Amino acid sequence: MAEFSDSLSILSSGMRSQGQRLRHIAENIANEDTPGYRRKTIEFRAHVEDGRRTGAIETGPVRLERGELPKIHDPAHPMADAEGYHEGSNVELLTEMADAREAQRSYEANLKMFEQVRRMSSQLLDILKR
Amino acid sequence: MTEIPDLMRLASGAARHAASRQATIAANVANADTPGFRARDVDTFSPDDGFALRRSELIPGDPRHFAGRTGTAAEAHDLRDLPADPNGNTVDLEDQILRGIDAARAHDRALTVYRSSLDLLRASLGRG
Repeated sequence: MAEFSDSLSILSSGMRSQGQRLRHIAENIANEDTPGYRRKTIEFRAHVEDGRRTGAIETGPVRLERGELPKIHDPAHPMADAEGYHEGSNVELLTEMADAREAQRSYEANLKMFEQVRRMSSQLLDILKR
Repeated sequence: MTEIPDLMRLASGAARHAASRQATIAANVANADTPGFRARDVDTFSPDDGFALRRSELIPGDPRHFAGRTGTAAEAHDLRDLPADPNGNTVDLEDQILRGIDAARAHDRALTVYRSSLDLLRASLGRG
């Protein structure tokens, strides 16, 4: 039975991490037109407890993507400088959509395995019921 | 009469093996996007590798007999020759789901054998 509860907690850590990733993607997409916004990314890493990998996954701190922000020419913009340029955001919709798809796919895989493990453990309990 | 408990021990060993294989696959699926993670799996079930301890092979004081010890847990090993993602991850979700279904079926099979042995045992005790 210990294997089942381990599996379930590992899978729920996977779902939590993918959900968090999806949340940051949503923030990025919402801020696509925010001047000076830098794209947020999170890192996945193995969860370590007492110096041993548990198989679970955790998310690292939020990182802002480095690199030059695009200059947008719009003299009418309130944040435009003397030459009529202001900084845009470095969010690319195509990248975000692809990332969101991947996160969703991984989330579904975790959910599917979760259901399978739950079914296995309830079958085991059915034997006890008899 | 002694065959039935042996059969049940074998079935429970097979079920335990399937459960620990499922745990390994669960870790693979959870880490499907972790950079540098290598997919793992356990060896196929064999009745002689300590999962189904035969009575004659019981060793007094063997740590595997104590409850809670996972000495009988299958050893997971890295899967080799898998194409890796650019970030070094070798988990292929389709392949892992397939392996998961395989493990679930093995578990089903083992539990079915266990349940029918239990029925046989109960029938022989007259409790049908």
